[in-house]
Formats: sequence, C-alpha cells, structure tokens
Amino acid sequence: MAQDRMSPKERLNGFLTGGRLDRFLCVPLVLNHAARMSGVKIGAHNRDGRIMGECHVEAYRRYRQDLITIFSDTAVLAEALGTELRYPDDDVPRVERPAVTDPDDRSRLRSAAADAGRLGVCLQAIGTAVAAVGDEVAVSCCFAAPFTTAACLRGTDQIARDLYRNKDLTHELLRMSLDLGKRFADAVIDAGGVPVVVDPVATGSVLGEAHFREFALPYLQQLDAHIARRGLPVVLHICGQTSRILDAMLDAGAALLSVDDISMAEARDRVGDRAALMGNVRPAQTLLQGTPEDVLREVRELCAIGRECKGGFVLGSGCEVPIDSPPENVEAMMAGVREHGRLD
Amino acid sequence: MTTNANDILQELARMVVNMDEQGAVAAAHRALERGVDPYVAITEGLSAGMREVGELYDRGEYFVPEILVCSDAMYAAIAVLKPHIETSPDRTPVTVILGVIEGDIHDIGKNIVKIMLEAAGFDVRDLGRDVSAESFVNAAREAGSGIVGISTLMSTTLRNMTKVIQGLCDAGLRQSFGVMIGGSPTSAAFARQIGADGHGRDAKDAVELAQALAGRLAWRKTG
Repeated sequence: MAQDRMSPKERLNGFLTGGRLDRFLCVPLVLNHAARMSGVKIGAHNRDGRIMGECHVEAYRRYRQDLITIFSDTAVLAEALGTELRYPDDDVPRVERPAVTDPDDRSRLRSAAADAGRLGVCLQAIGTAVAAVGDEVAVSCCFAAPFTTAACLRGTDQIARDLYRNKDLTHELLRMSLDLGKRFADAVIDAGGVPVVVDPVATGSVLGEAHFREFALPYLQQLDAHIARRGLPVVLHICGQTSRILDAMLDAGAALLSVDDISMAEARDRVGDRAALMGNVRPAQTLLQGTPEDVLREVRELCAIGRECKGGFVLGSGCEVPIDSPPENVEAMMAGVREHGRLD
Repeated sequence: MTTNANDILQELARMVVNMDEQGAVAAAHRALERGVDPYVAITEGLSAGMREVGELYDRGEYFVPEILVCSDAMYAAIAVLKPHIETSPDRTPVTVILGVIEGDIHDIGKNIVKIMLEAAGFDVRDLGRDVSAESFVNAAREAGSGIVGISTLMSTTLRNMTKVIQGLCDAGLRQSFGVMIGGSPTSAAFARQIGADGHGRDAKDAVELAQALAGRLAWRKTG
C-alpha cells in the first residue's frame, strides 16, 4: 500500500504555502464519531473537554487524517447566549428552548465570555489534543457562523419568517452572534487551534441566494475577515444543497470551501482558482451505509476531479462523518487518498 | 360556479402566493359573505395557492422562508373558513401521522411536508421533532389507519426509523398504514431495505406518495 511521506502538519503547511505535497490532504469531518469509535458516550464527550480531546486524539491515532476537527453541535454559541439545550446520554445535544421564542422577550439573552459553558469545553479539548499530537497534526475547532447561531437563538422556523417580518430582530441576533463568534475564534487561535466556520442553517436547502446575501453573507464576511487578520486561512463549511448559494459562498472570503450536496465537477467549474474546494464523500449513503469499496470508488472519482481544481483540493466528507459509520469506511477514505490522490 | 365565486377562489390563491396574511383573511370573509362553500374555498382557493407555492419552490424561486410565510396566510384564512364547513363522509380526510425521528434536531423539512400535505387535504397529526418510535406507534394506534411519515435530516438517526416499522408490525398495525420516509440521508433503496412503502425525495414527491398510499389503503378496505 502507498505510504505517506509527510506528516499531516507538514502537508497542511505545504498546502497553505503552495509547496509540494506527497498527496491531497484528507479531512473526513470526524466530529462526534470520535467519541463513538473511542467507546465514549456522546453525552460525556461533549461536556468534558479533556475527554473530548482524548477521543479526538484516539481517532487521529487510528485514521491519521490531516486535520483534527473538534466539535459538539451547532448550538454551542447560542447556548452561551441563553438558548437551552437537552443532553441525551449518547447522542448530540439538541435545542430544547431557543432564547428568544417571543420577539419581545430578549431578557433571556445574556452576554457571554469566550470560554463560557461549553465554549470552554471545546477550548480545553483543543488544548488536550494540541498537547498530545500537536507536533504532527493541526487541531481545528468547528463552530457555528452567525446565521446558524441566530437560528439557534430564535428557532429555525421563526428566523425564516423573521427574514420577512422582523428584520431588525434578525440583525440584532446576528450582531450578537457575530460578536461572540469573533471572540471565540480568537480564543480558539489562542488555544493553538484553527477556527473552522460552519453555517448549516444558511444552506441552499433553506435559503435562496438573495436571503443568503442579505442575512448570512455580511456576517460571514466580517467573521472571516477577523480570522484572516489573525493570519489564518479561513475554512467555511456549509452542508446540504450547495449549488444555489455557491457563488455567494465564494464572496465570504474563505480560502477553503467545504461543500456537501453538489457535484464536485460543477463546484470545480464554478469556483475556478478563487478558492480551494473540500469535499464531498457522501456521509449517509457512502460513509454510513456503504462498504469500503464504495468509499474507494468515490474517493477515486473525487481525486480525479480534484486534480483539475485550480484553487486546490482537499478530500473531505460532505458533512459530519455519521456517528455510527464503520471505522473501516473512514480508513478507506485515507487508503483511497494515498492510492488515488498522489501528487509526487 | 359563478364568475364571482371564481374570482374569490383566485383571490384566495393569490393572497397565499403573495404571502399576504391580512389579504387572505379578508378574502376568506368575503367568500363567506358571498356564499362560497367554505370547503371549496379551502380546497380550490387556498390549497390551489399553496400548490402554486410548491411549484415555485420546485423551480427554485421560493425557498423555506417563503413557504412558511405563505402557509401562515393559508392557515389564517383556513381558521376563518373551517368553523363553517359541514362535515360529510366523502370529506373525511386520510390521517397522516408525521414526525421527525428520535435523535433529530431539525424539523424544517418535515414542516414543509406538513404544509403541503394539509394543502392537499390530508389530516396531519404532527408529532413534532425528536419523536420516539413508541410515540409514532401510539399515535398510529389512536388513528386506527392512515399513513405514517417519518423524516430525518441526520444520518445518525436512520436506525431509529427501522424501530417505528418494527413497532407497527408488533402492534398488528402495519397492514392499516402506509409508511413513507423522507429526509436528505434517506433513499428509495433505504426505504425498501427497512420495509417502508415509499420514499419522498421532497415535499411534492411526499404528497404524491401519500396520495398513492391513501388510494392503496382505500382499495385494501373495500377489497
């Protein structure tokens, strides 16, 4: 089997500086799956930073993927600002009660420090992973972009209506979400991590391009500019239907766009050299329900398209690696990129 | 039907498409004043408007926010009309028990399906999100017959869909219900694999599937 000749960190640095690489980077979005494959309950993993970090270290030691991606759920920032979550024992937390169910009721919103509540859990997880394997692999932390945080503060159905009926409230929630997002990005960087911005509610499955440009994009641009000022490449992930918002996503100013439900060939043609693309092995159909052979076939096709991506290509999963995915399928992604993604 | 009544039906539809809640309510009152059958005002006025909204969604001209605001207009006008409807056996709608399976934090797709099913005349019992298999089965037992629609947006919750179908079988209810599934990680192949009767790719597909399943149920009852 083909062997790696660079460490994940060397490969990432090479990618960012335009140096030569032995192969494409491969970043399966191993998030809560890290807990499951480590035999740790999801509920324990996302409330204890040390455990969370250790799960990710264990997942990395098995997969040797090119970026560790710390994450619990997309409501972590909203929770710090007042949204109530429910914690199943062995599943991801979910929004139980948005902070602002009634537009007049803003008293439940509170200001939050960048290490408040589970933000601190994520920061501790970064520290744990950096201390253990930070010399060979970069550690990132995925967190919700302002639109997704605002949706968790208001409820997704309500914010969708507010885009017509209560624009002022929407922008107010977006500003709060952006403010905490910037401070949390700083805290991630200070902890030795790389911020990865995810905006799953601002997906083309929910919004048209006009609303994306009016409500999601301006705040993404400000967050991305803030991260870029700290000297880091901006990674933006939006899952679901990507095709109809891809042009607007490009305007967010991210260096690396992680895409989900779009053909990579279409993304390649539309993005050109304006950004690098990351994706998009199908999470449910392939990583969860498929076989290692299915994964290899998809990886081979993606790598062939990746070679024609003028702005660069990273092999990734379309969205979070499903919690119950067989580890053999994630390993097949890594084996596939070593086989089909060689660049030397 | 008089031109006058037709105008009102068209106005009801237009108010829904235009996201005009106050206009829809005013049109509903006008329909009652002019003696338009409130049942027809819903099925051929408001629902026709909502079907057009569905078509605009399919064409990528309307999105989730537009569907929700249009549906608010539809429901506000339905609330005006519904108390005046005379029930009759041929107007008894098929029940659809709808919910997002346990473990799923999203329900926006399900809400869209609910709106379109109601616009198509189904009686939707919405169990909400994060629904346990047991709750689906209990609701089915209460309804007696109809359709069960299970949705998810998360691949992590797929295994819980199987539990609903198993629960319906164990309760002896499987023959009385059509089972349809939907949501981005699902597929027709997955529906077959877990023994569901069908898979809806999107809201429009789900409505067509529900109509087909309702037809099959009616045939089972008479045959």
